Amino acid sequence: MIQEEKTVVLELLGVEKSYPGNPPVRALRGIDLLVRKGELLALVGTSGSGKSTMLNVMGALDRPTAGNVLIEGQDLSNLSDRQLSSLRGRRIGFIFQQFHLIAGMSAVENVSAGLLYQGISRSRRHSNAITLLHRVGLGDRLAHLPHQLSGGEQQRVAIARALMGEPAIILADELTGNLDSKTSEEIIDLLHQLNRDGSTIVVVTHDGAIAHSFPGMVTLLDGLVANDSRAA
Amino acid sequence: MTRKMGFSRISFADAIGVGTLGLRTRKTRTMLTALGIAIGIAAMISVLGITSSSDAQLKSELAALGPNLLEITPGESFTGAEVSFPEDASKVVERIGTVESSSAVFVVNTSVRRNEFIPKQQTGGIAALAVDLEMLSMIDGAVAEGQFLDLSSASLPKVVLGSVAAERLGITSTRRSPQVFLDDTYFTVIGILAAAPLAPNIERAALMGVEIAAELFDLQPEPSLIYARVNESLLDDQRRFDETRSVIAASVLPDAPSGVSVSRPSDLLAARTSTQNAFTGLLLGLGAVALLVGGVGIANVMVISVIERRTEIGIRRALGALRGHIRLQFVFESALLAALGGVAGIILGALITVTYASSRDWVISVPTTSLGAGVGLAVAIGTIAGLYPAARAARLDPAEAVRPRV
Ligand SMILES: Nc1ncnc2c1ncn2[C@@H]1O[C@H](COP(=O)(O)OP(=O)(O)OP(=O)(O)O)[C@@H](O)[C@H]1O
Ligand SMILES: [Mg+2]
Repeated sequence: MIQEEKTVVLELLGVEKSYPGNPPVRALRGIDLLVRKGELLALVGTSGSGKSTMLNVMGALDRPTAGNVLIEGQDLSNLSDRQLSSLRGRRIGFIFQQFHLIAGMSAVENVSAGLLYQGISRSRRHSNAITLLHRVGLGDRLAHLPHQLSGGEQQRVAIARALMGEPAIILADELTGNLDSKTSEEIIDLLHQLNRDGSTIVVVTHDGAIAHSFPGMVTLLDGLVANDSRAA
Repeated sequence: MTRKMGFSRISFADAIGVGTLGLRTRKTRTMLTALGIAIGIAAMISVLGITSSSDAQLKSELAALGPNLLEITPGESFTGAEVSFPEDASKVVERIGTVESSSAVFVVNTSVRRNEFIPKQQTGGIAALAVDLEMLSMIDGAVAEGQFLDLSSASLPKVVLGSVAAERLGITSTRRSPQVFLDDTYFTVIGILAAAPLAPNIERAALMGVEIAAELFDLQPEPSLIYARVNESLLDDQRRFDETRSVIAASVLPDAPSGVSVSRPSDLLAARTSTQNAFTGLLLGLGAVALLVGGVGIANVMVISVIERRTEIGIRRALGALRGHIRLQFVFESALLAALGGVAGIILGALITVTYASSRDWVISVPTTSLGAGVGLAVAIGTIAGLYPAARAARLDPAEAVRPRV
């Protein structure tokens, strides 16, 4: 009953994705998925099962070949590239395995870039960014450049960037893939913390321990949902 | 629920920050790439600057010499017959209200030789002229060696040589009282004139007093040349200036004014220098080629930069940047890169001009419009060079761009 009342943040309806080739690669073969507000969901599956592809489609970075993606009730299939870009900037936070901080920009500037394309004043973005850096435990690394930070610290900066502007959903692809186990644990703890504070998060991982620590887990197999722990 | 959704946007200040990031983080590359444009712009600015300085120098020289000097010579009447001036032509000219002063020059029919052993035909193009004592100040001439004719020497067998005449006769000093041979009389050289660009006739002549010329030679009583200085106020009023010219012609030969040629030596001199323009054009062309090469260099570096920064572009798209924002970022970066080169180029070009002009003691003149045009041209080249790389950057598929690289 309570579950039903929670708003749906993201919905996939019969989503398919093929990459051109001979024969074409059918990376997603008809996915239905629902993500509700406040969820912390793990997306697991063997290599090549379509996890990254699915995450890109969920985040409007890529268009599905067939099916519909709805973000906060809005069907993306009719949106122009400009509209999709704007929606990404406003409603989606991305975290990548390779951190992807912008070289030459300080931690604050990188986090602040989370709202760069929203026309918000630099000073407001900077003060938000500083607050978020404190929240991810990097209050003493504000002016550091990416190459002056450890991998774990870089990923915290990336997390803070994803949090900028309170997105509807945060999508993370193998965010601990480049980190040692202790640092991974800290990052995952941080995600739990953010989720408790209200963030909706989907994490692609092939680390079983991490996946099992999450309240929900969806398993992909050959471009199809093989198991959804929440259905049980 | 359909949300009312505006498009992503970026403030002007932030766009500047984004557009300069690539240059700020790759300083060496920025400098080397901008250098190409800088060389092209510097070449063009210095060519223009040196030409303009040389013009300015000429103008100031002409101004110093006096653009109010007129040269009045007999030409041809409309029937084609050669005309000659009345004996008192110089005085007639001087009586005209707008004429300040005048001075007559007479041709002396004699050859001028170094000594009696040189054949008569070998005169080296040196004329003998009889002049009055005011002639030198008339043409703003100066004595380089010795002295000019005075009341006493004007009636003695003494000559003053024009600069070219002295050189052709091989006389460089008056200290040992060198002599030249005219018809069958040795004349003592008492002075050598400095170059007188306004009066090439005088530069190529041996000058003597009218009295001695009349005494020793067959002197034509009609002046063959009259120098006149008109009132300076005419220089700012072309109509009155032209009027004075006609009045001079009509006064000298009331029956055949068209047979009087009234020219301004400074005009001829100014016209002669414009022949340098072909060479200037060639140098400008070389500068343009350097610019073109610089532009290709920028395009090349920008393409490399787009490839290197694929992930950054992907991230920006993930953060909401529109294709237009990405395009703007790279076009701006490219234009800025060229603008840096342009600014360095105009500074360098101006320095070259100043150094060259001052080494020649010229008036320094760097046309300010060429400075503005130099930077403008650089920006235009940078913008064009950036269009293709920027379009490539904007076309990148965001999902592709954020994929981990192998
Ligand atoms: N750009 C592409 N062009 C062609 N095929 C692609 C492309 N991207 C992915 N694929 C194919 O689609 C399938 C799914 O790829 P995807 O990256 O989504 O897998 P994944 O589950 O994230 O794997 P991993 O755990 O190794 O990251 C794979 O078979 C892959 O080869
Ligand atoms: Mg993957």
